[in-house]
Amino acid sequence: MTVFKTTTALTCGLLALSTAASAETFRWASNTDPQTMDPHAVNSAPVLSFMNNIYEGLVRRGQDMSIEPSLATSWEPLEGENGWRFTLREGVTFQDGAAFTAEDVMFSYQRASDEAADVRSWFAPVSEVRVVDDFTIDFVTTAPNPLFPDSIANFMILDKDWAESNDAALPARDAENFATMNVNGTGPFTLSSRDPGVRTVLVPHEGWWGEVQHNVTEGVFTPIGNAATGLAALLSGEIDFIQPIPLQDVAQVEGSDGFKVLEGEETRVIMFGFGHEHETLLYSEDVTDVNPFQDPRVRLAAAHAIDVASIDRVLFRGKIEPASQLVPAGISGYSEANSSRPEYNPERARELLAEAGYPDGCSFCLKCPYDRYINDEAVCRAAASMFAAVGLNAELSTGPVRDYWPQLREDDFDMYLLGWSPGTFDMEHPIRFLKHTQDDEKKLGSWNFGNFSNARIDELLQMIQQEIDPAARKAMEDDVVAISQEEVAYIPLYTQPLIWAAKDNIDMTQRADNFFMLRWVTIN
Amino acid sequence: MVYFILKRLVQSVFVMLAVAFLAFSLFRFVGDPITQMTGVETSVEDQERLREELGLNDPFVAQFARFTSNMLQGDFGFSYRTRQPVAEMIADRIPATLELGIVALLISLIVGIPAGVYTALRPRGAVTQTLLMTTLIGVSVPTFVIGIMLIFLFGVQLRWLPTFGRGGTVELGGWETSFLTVDGWRALILPAITLGVYQLTLTMRLVRAEMMEVMRSDYIRFATARGVPMQRLYYKHALANTMVPVITIIGLQFGGVIAFSIVTESVFQWPGMGLLFLESIRFVDIPVMGVYLVVIAFFFVIVNMIVDLLYVAIDPRLRVKEAT
Repeated sequence: MTVFKTTTALTCGLLALSTAASAETFRWASNTDPQTMDPHAVNSAPVLSFMNNIYEGLVRRGQDMSIEPSLATSWEPLEGENGWRFTLREGVTFQDGAAFTAEDVMFSYQRASDEAADVRSWFAPVSEVRVVDDFTIDFVTTAPNPLFPDSIANFMILDKDWAESNDAALPARDAENFATMNVNGTGPFTLSSRDPGVRTVLVPHEGWWGEVQHNVTEGVFTPIGNAATGLAALLSGEIDFIQPIPLQDVAQVEGSDGFKVLEGEETRVIMFGFGHEHETLLYSEDVTDVNPFQDPRVRLAAAHAIDVASIDRVLFRGKIEPASQLVPAGISGYSEANSSRPEYNPERARELLAEAGYPDGCSFCLKCPYDRYINDEAVCRAAASMFAAVGLNAELSTGPVRDYWPQLREDDFDMYLLGWSPGTFDMEHPIRFLKHTQDDEKKLGSWNFGNFSNARIDELLQMIQQEIDPAARKAMEDDVVAISQEEVAYIPLYTQPLIWAAKDNIDMTQRADNFFMLRWVTIN
Repeated sequence: MVYFILKRLVQSVFVMLAVAFLAFSLFRFVGDPITQMTGVETSVEDQERLREELGLNDPFVAQFARFTSNMLQGDFGFSYRTRQPVAEMIADRIPATLELGIVALLISLIVGIPAGVYTALRPRGAVTQTLLMTTLIGVSVPTFVIGIMLIFLFGVQLRWLPTFGRGGTVELGGWETSFLTVDGWRALILPAITLGVYQLTLTMRLVRAEMMEVMRSDYIRFATARGVPMQRLYYKHALANTMVPVITIIGLQFGGVIAFSIVTESVFQWPGMGLLFLESIRFVDIPVMGVYLVVIAFFFVIVNMIVDLLYVAIDPRLRVKEAT
């Protein structure tokens, strides 16, 4: 710790001397500091995104999110049993100079699948890992698992000797350990200094195996929590890049000379969920004996009540893409056959409500977070008035996200807002977490708060997870989407936009998972 | 004197206990730390295990008892968010907050006292009116607006000063100071003004009111009649007599400046205790929030004690009383 502090102080001193014009120092900011430098301790986007610059996995995602070789050069299904064989890259060294072998993968697997690791759910399907030779390793799974290589793109490899000799054989659970503040990966950058919450400095790893595309000699990361401060830091030239910026600041950045906005679609779909399992509405003033949302016609009426085009125009300046299902187009498993969403049709909504026996609608509580998704509270406010226009009188209740998930877990809602980004970039992911019946034992449906339950979907999920043939899997995923739409399991609303801002002289890649890769940065 | 200080220190322990108790009774309304500590893919079972390990299922009284008894043994615990020792995290952030608070206080005194005297002596001057008006804006506009305005003017438009952070700091025996580099001072100016502007207004108006009061008193008239030079009259006799209430208010305010520099620290991404506290609320980092509040309570007690001691130094009447 003391060593780090001193380094920081020295670096600061040097920076004070050299002017900000030094071309290859790249400064960037984001709203959250990675909580730890340990790639197995926390399964959160800020940590995984940052650590991907330092550590590497067997496979990785390219600029277009496709899976490509990283520490493994190739992989194929095992013969005679379920699982995958990975052939590892030779000649790779860790940042301390140690050679990379299958033992390190084995060790990292044990570390990442331990109870102390937050990423252990990735290895739930794995029954055994075998080192075949120094550069071959087998991951045996309990059932055929075609998606396994895709699902471990963020599984990062640590050096066994380094971790063991520094008492970091397991991720820090309650107290910090050596790997919380120090790194030794195989990736393109390594840690030069770290002052948590203040500044983290990366420098290139000279012995990296890959082809260097960037021209960064030093990367300085600063978390800036306040959006206005972050914008000012960019516009004043003190930082080169910031992710994300609020929608309302886009015009200001675009109007300033020398800056640009990078826009894209995030893979996160925003949706409304229902309390399928609730026998009665919790917060209704007029309908207290039943839960009208158990009737698919009422759910469809709610879907017809929402005018996504207006939300887009008024709240998002035309930057969102309407969603028909729980993954956006382009993600594997996206169902082209079911790509239309219920159109905005308030008359139809009123008819449906009347058919279902609620000609006067009903009142209920709509829960929303106000600090989780872009414009989340405003979207709910708009939706509430659209619902009210057809007779569904939504009483809006908003709260901070730290309090929001516990409320949803305790079933304290009639309808709620949720955003979902498929961690594996496959349709199977939202089906597993949002559509399968809640099953704590099998670890399924853990974010299916309203406990939507459909026996056919439960059955299809098992089959999808094990189907090797892509066409057959796709057909089953199509089925799930069709059933969900027919049942109106959720109301998918739109795909959230991704908005970054940078100086004009920076070339970089914006990946759809909102990860920032320093190795794709060029300073002109 | 020693007895007085000891008594205050003992009292401070009770204040801290009370604050910790209140804080702990509120923490469970802040949110659930487990959902902040784990990823979306973490199974419910693993979440429950973690909750059990951290003792979050224990009743509130048990959690509070564990927190206080650990603290009494010098164990401040580990952050839920970063897993670092809380004592170290807070100790690392104290210099930033204290330096910011002290500079803000100095600005408010160095500008506020002369301005107060001036506006008292020339109550109808144009400068006085301008000063009173502008400082009124200073108190009525919220801190974060002032901060953002300063950032956009001096940081973005003019590019004279940095918009965030502490700039260059130098480590001196474990204390990370901004005072020794030009960069450090440049980074300090805007946040210190933002934080000090309320104090400045208060100081100026207080000095002005007291000064006007004193100037009307008999002994000043006699002194004037005796031909005491005006400068000596203003700055020795009159000003000294205005200082007792001024010190009380400023002293008490200083505790508040340290405690509530949160907004300023957030606007300037100033890596002090306040920013740490804000981040901790976001992540429901109970150990850090608990220790922070206790440390702030301790600051308040100490600041009040110093104010009391300064009284004695400034007001001879109190010394006489003590002697008898």
